[in-house]
Amino acid sequence: MNYFLRRLLQGALLLIGVSFLTFLFSTLAPGNYLDEMRLNPQISSATLAALRSQYQLDRPLPIRYARWMNSIAHGELGYSFAYNSPVAPLVWVRARNTLLLTTTATLLVWGLALPLGIWSAERRGRLSDRALSSATAGLLVIPDLVLGLGLLILTARSGWFPTGGLVSVGFENLSPIRKLSDLVMHMALPVTALVLSALPILIRHIRAAMAEVLDASYLRAAAAHGIAHRKLLYGYALRAAANPLIALFGFSVGTLLSGSLLVEIIMSWPGIGPLLLEAILARDLYVVIGGVLFSTVFLVAGNFLADVLLYWADPRIRTMAGAR
Amino acid sequence: MREVLALAGVTFSIFSRTTLAVVGPSGSGKSTLASCLACLEPVSSGKIWFAQTEVTAMDAGQQCAIRPSIQMVFQDPASSLNPRMSALELVSEPLKIQDRFDKRERSDRAYDLLERVGLPREKAAQRPDEFSGGQRQRIAIARALVLEPKLVILDEALSALDCSVQAQVANLLMDLQASLGLTYLFITHDLAMAAHLADEIAVMERGRIVETGAARSVVDSPQHAVTRRLLLAAPGVRNSALEPQAV
Amino acid sequence: MQRRQIVRWLLVLGALHAMVACAGFFAPYDPVEQDREHPYLPPMKVHVVDERGHLHLQPFFYAARVRQGSFDQFDEDTGQAFALRFFVTGAKYRLLGFLPCRVHLFGTEGARLYLLGSDGFGRDQFSRILYGGQVSLLSGLLGAGFTLFMGAIIGTVAGFYGGWRDVLLMRLAELFLALPWLYLLFALRAFLPLAVSPLKAFLLVIVVLATVGWARPARLVRGVVLSAKERDFVRAARGFGASNAYLLRRHIVPETSSVLLTQAAILIPQFVLAEMTLSFLGLGIPEPAPSWGNLLASLQQYSVLVSYWWMYLPAVAIVPFFVGYQGLANTLNLDVAADKIEGKRGAPS
Repeated sequence: MNYFLRRLLQGALLLIGVSFLTFLFSTLAPGNYLDEMRLNPQISSATLAALRSQYQLDRPLPIRYARWMNSIAHGELGYSFAYNSPVAPLVWVRARNTLLLTTTATLLVWGLALPLGIWSAERRGRLSDRALSSATAGLLVIPDLVLGLGLLILTARSGWFPTGGLVSVGFENLSPIRKLSDLVMHMALPVTALVLSALPILIRHIRAAMAEVLDASYLRAAAAHGIAHRKLLYGYALRAAANPLIALFGFSVGTLLSGSLLVEIIMSWPGIGPLLLEAILARDLYVVIGGVLFSTVFLVAGNFLADVLLYWADPRIRTMAGAR
Repeated sequence: MREVLALAGVTFSIFSRTTLAVVGPSGSGKSTLASCLACLEPVSSGKIWFAQTEVTAMDAGQQCAIRPSIQMVFQDPASSLNPRMSALELVSEPLKIQDRFDKRERSDRAYDLLERVGLPREKAAQRPDEFSGGQRQRIAIARALVLEPKLVILDEALSALDCSVQAQVANLLMDLQASLGLTYLFITHDLAMAAHLADEIAVMERGRIVETGAARSVVDSPQHAVTRRLLLAAPGVRNSALEPQAV
Repeated sequence: MQRRQIVRWLLVLGALHAMVACAGFFAPYDPVEQDREHPYLPPMKVHVVDERGHLHLQPFFYAARVRQGSFDQFDEDTGQAFALRFFVTGAKYRLLGFLPCRVHLFGTEGARLYLLGSDGFGRDQFSRILYGGQVSLLSGLLGAGFTLFMGAIIGTVAGFYGGWRDVLLMRLAELFLALPWLYLLFALRAFLPLAVSPLKAFLLVIVVLATVGWARPARLVRGVVLSAKERDFVRAARGFGASNAYLLRRHIVPETSSVLLTQAAILIPQFVLAEMTLSFLGLGIPEPAPSWGNLLASLQQYSVLVSYWWMYLPAVAIVPFFVGYQGLANTLNLDVAADKIEGKRGAPS
């Protein structure tokens, strides 16, 4: 149990570190933020005065940070000037959509990469393996921006899938089945873009991890004992490769999150991505900080999940954790 | 991290122009001893005397002045010679660091020493990977001699070489000792080699010296169990007192 | 053996970069020159055989004419042929940024040849892609250069001196590495002034890229320095009385060169892409200075996306560079592995 507590603590430290970094970056903004807002006719001078006193902008940095942390502990993430509403509910709605997208993409990409990686590791050196290698190399040279835009153009011209939004107009009137299919149709494009951009490198790493294990002498010894091929592959090799693969999983969460930011913007998926961009262009400070924080929470959660998996998969960690 | 006491109760002396061999199984602390004497490792307690001055009482600057007199040849020339430097650069490097002579004189001295260890001038521009193991060790020896040291510590310097090459390099070392008046501290786990090269032998086990004496007498009449074990492991040592003992 | 491969990839990359560096020579027109009469023209064809089947030695093209009954469909006006001349004197430009020159590879008179189509303001996309490449590639190269420089220094300090410096720097690196980099990029860019001149934006982008990317090179360099520090040849040099500065300069830093080169091959394309992404979203190089990123920005409008496919071409421009850099990185990795194996063996005695 200590193992999980330690991991949680590390995650919490990361969050604090990120929040401090973002807060620090925000102080880099030349000139007082409120000065820029003063130029905005939508914000009254009374609001400005209230904000100034609330956020204590004249106080030194550590005090501001402490107050901000305090308000976070109370569930307040600040106020959005562009949307005229508190940040937290705004970000939360978008965060759910990002979560939906990223989770689906993660499941799909691992669901494809794992069997393909194992399959090609099994046949390493042979024609089928080399063909897959060439295919992944081909995909790798297409960066996600190019891929995303290309897919978008294809879809827009062919009309097969909707090119933006979460659901169609009139969604509420559809039957549950049609609602689901409508959602899936809208998700198809962004998920495909995410999966295609993350797939090649994942296949490569899985293949490498499996190949290393398959070449190990203890596996050849097991084969010499007459253990069936299927059991050898999944019972022995996969379990031995579990460590690097689970670490890879944790890493892939971060990569997919970054990728989803861009994909959401390109494909008009209403997640944190477009919100963040708008907020940056509108100089909406607290929305930016809130967005970055939420993404870090996802990241920490993903890595924590990886730690749980590792605990379950690797008996050495269980022993180590239990011995303390 | 727990501190490990590598050496405890090690007392010995080496007389000038002689060879003392320190023999022991792996883990006995021989290499740590070598590093301490070469001033590469700090000593937590105890004293080291060199040429009537106490090294351990010196500050960093004075220790620096002592360094040229104590030089070391390492076990693996593949890692003790920077693979990016030519043999000439390697041998003249100590002179460069100590800022002695000008470039021309440094090269001359380096060529000189390389010839002394049996490497012709034409090869001086080659890199270590173009030499054999034995040749590389010769370069390391030449490099150790360029600052004209009084004491040369040979830390398993022959152990990584093939048997036939060992003999050649050992003979080279003996010749150099005679012609240059060097003092050797020879660290090894091979008692046979020690017997061949050394005047005196000290046997170490787990950080302590367990037996010392003149080379011939240690080999002929080993007192300690460790010495006897090492003798058994050493091929080709003729010993009248050698009989199977309960180990 | 790997050396030859490396040289081959370097030549390929060199040729690609040279083409972009000499954008002024290869581009027939000025990238900001507008032609409001011909917005969103599709790519034009170059002919050598005319309508009557005659072969001409001098290539030619036809001007575009709006099709009857539409306002954005164009046809070739076969009534008049315009010649394509090579090595013409045209608008002034600066070769490689400083040599004043007037010669262009090819040029036209009387009408403009839009090899890759035109954008909403009638600007020639072919010229814009070439000039835009200069900005994007330079951002990537300079950004990667700064990152590697910062990472090398931080990694060397952490690895060589150890202690609290090492712990602090590596914890910081972990923090930077743990974050999704695009979020970090955005956050950093968010708090810097938005509406700046192209030059300032260029510098800003480089600084932002360098700040986000130092962590991985720093970690790798630290690893190399840590192991180099313990190598016997470093201990030997200490035995000769070498100072820390000498050890670092002569023995330890050269060991980091291969890791830095491989990182360069990996980081440069990533940074070019990052600049493209920033500019595409309006956070990077602003108009009218072309960059591959802001050339793609018009695709954010649905009408452009659906009707004008050639506006996608700037995105394709980066692919050959990715191919080149990835090939180089792979070969460098193999080279490093091979060196490790060869280093153990030597010539036979």
